[in-house]
Amino acid sequence: MSWIRERELSLIERLTANILKAGPMPKHVAFIMDGNRRYARKRHVERQEGHTQGFDKLAETLRWCLNLDIREVTVYAFSIENFKRSKEEVDGLMELAKQKFSRLLEEQENLEKHGVCIRVLGDLTLLPLDLQEVIAKAVVSTRKHNNCFLNVCFAYTSRHEIANAVKEMAWGVEEGLLKSSDVSESLLSKCLYSSSSPDPDLLIRTSGEVRLSDFLLWQTSYSCLVFQSVLWPEYSFWNLCEAILQYQLSYLSLQKARDLHREQQALQQLEADRNCVADLMMHHGKGNGKAADTHSRQEHLLNYAADREERVQGFLGTLQHRRDSYFTELAGKAALA
Amino acid sequence: MMALVYDFVWRTLHALLHLQRVLISWFRIRLWNWRLWKQAVAALLVPVALGFQNHKTLGPPAGKRGLRRVRWGADGKSLEKLPMHVGLLIAEDELHYTDIANLVVWCMAVGISYVSVYDNQGIFRRNNSRLMDEILKQQQDLLGLESTKYSVEFLNNRNEKQDHQVMSCQAVVKVLSPDDGKPSIVRAAQELCRSVEQKERRSKDIDVHLLDSILRESVHIPDPDLVLKFGPVESTLGFLPWHIRLTEFISLPSHTDVSYEDIFSALKRFATCEQRQGK
Repeated sequence: MSWIRERELSLIERLTANILKAGPMPKHVAFIMDGNRRYARKRHVERQEGHTQGFDKLAETLRWCLNLDIREVTVYAFSIENFKRSKEEVDGLMELAKQKFSRLLEEQENLEKHGVCIRVLGDLTLLPLDLQEVIAKAVVSTRKHNNCFLNVCFAYTSRHEIANAVKEMAWGVEEGLLKSSDVSESLLSKCLYSSSSPDPDLLIRTSGEVRLSDFLLWQTSYSCLVFQSVLWPEYSFWNLCEAILQYQLSYLSLQKARDLHREQQALQQLEADRNCVADLMMHHGKGNGKAADTHSRQEHLLNYAADREERVQGFLGTLQHRRDSYFTELAGKAALA
Repeated sequence: MMALVYDFVWRTLHALLHLQRVLISWFRIRLWNWRLWKQAVAALLVPVALGFQNHKTLGPPAGKRGLRRVRWGADGKSLEKLPMHVGLLIAEDELHYTDIANLVVWCMAVGISYVSVYDNQGIFRRNNSRLMDEILKQQQDLLGLESTKYSVEFLNNRNEKQDHQVMSCQAVVKVLSPDDGKPSIVRAAQELCRSVEQKERRSKDIDVHLLDSILRESVHIPDPDLVLKFGPVESTLGFLPWHIRLTEFISLPSHTDVSYEDIFSALKRFATCEQRQGK
């Protein structure tokens, strides 16, 4: 079963899609694909069969998303907490992942046709080395594509991601690339694994559970959350349409809340810069401190903000380079082997 | 041409959905009024039922309150599990302080230890004392309790129970705003980076546990087990992103004229949820 299923929508599905597209559409949708094991129990099949069917459903869902002009999808494939499951099941899931990512490499042509870029978010060092290598190869080979994006969260939890972002910033401070006062909400967002994606507009969780289970906690603060009772392997085009309808109903209020948040964020940044400038002026020009009128103060502030931005950009460039080379090196190692 | 047709159908569809929403909320309020009527009739038919109360000093109204308090407490105990911390997330533009205060008092009466109240515009934070006053008032109205301790941020209410049924209302109420969310994570990050800058710590020592312990200090209360969201917007609206890792979300249409039964059925739903924690 391939990563993107080739099947056109039926007439009635196309019609519905076009009606939905007349309204505001989510650009980025995140899925918690829950219910594979319950599905297997219900159908009296092996647990592994449930996971396999879950993957097939993902391929189908990606096709629907493309039909609906949704260009970015993020899925929760494997949580760090899932390592607690039985060894048999964890091994089975690792094997399935390896198989699917290898399959992806054979499907280059198809992925190129659709321009699919695959990213894997999470602490990959927790995975077996052979899986890390296959993942790296898949990521590197689709890196240049930019028509649509699939982010697979693997060995991921949101708290781990946030703590890791803080660690990266602390590393920047250690290396002298950043000052501790440069740490801000927007900088933290850019140090997350998901730094290259906009925040999801819509998060869908299947199987009737009503919690986030440590998934994209930071990124979904102002996203539309839709909890649906259907089990993931039974997910249908109509379930997806229903979720999008919910998104459209919440759209205006969410937009308003997001704007308010953005305003607050800008104010906080300004306040932080002001404090830093005041500190600097205290330290340096004690003599001409009195002479600092509003005009020169404003100038100082602008200069400071420009300097800060330069530091932040430099640091982010280094960070991105480090992350890219992790994948390139691993993929290279795999090619040699 | 087709685009116009699609647009028209979309608009009609959404108009219908809005109409449905308005009708539902209208019927809800009607139904609630009707329920009130039923209760009033019932109260008329059984006035003597309260006669056996022996709190002579409190008088008949307080007796009724006592009964209610005992019933709510018993309701709480009848559930298989009760959340330790309930977050009330108000995702509506119009805020009604009395309704919120009722919600808080009901939560306390069924035995919930921590209740937090949140809105994404920070209105409750700015009107903290008004909300706290309203809670105290409703607490006396609904439960007839004397409050002993009360501060701006927390409201601690400890009271000695004279009833034979063990039922004590002891709860911490906290008002939360978006500032307790991402900005508090950023402040923790700054603190950690500052200690790295001053060579007190190395970057590789930073992990989930360390960050969690700093963030726990900033909020002072356990992670919410349950968030009751009121209003039509399906979102957390920036409610404590770090702390809602395992929180269950239950949506209710509106906090206006919400009834005890609505809350209790949400708590019943929570009691049946199973947490597998990754397994």
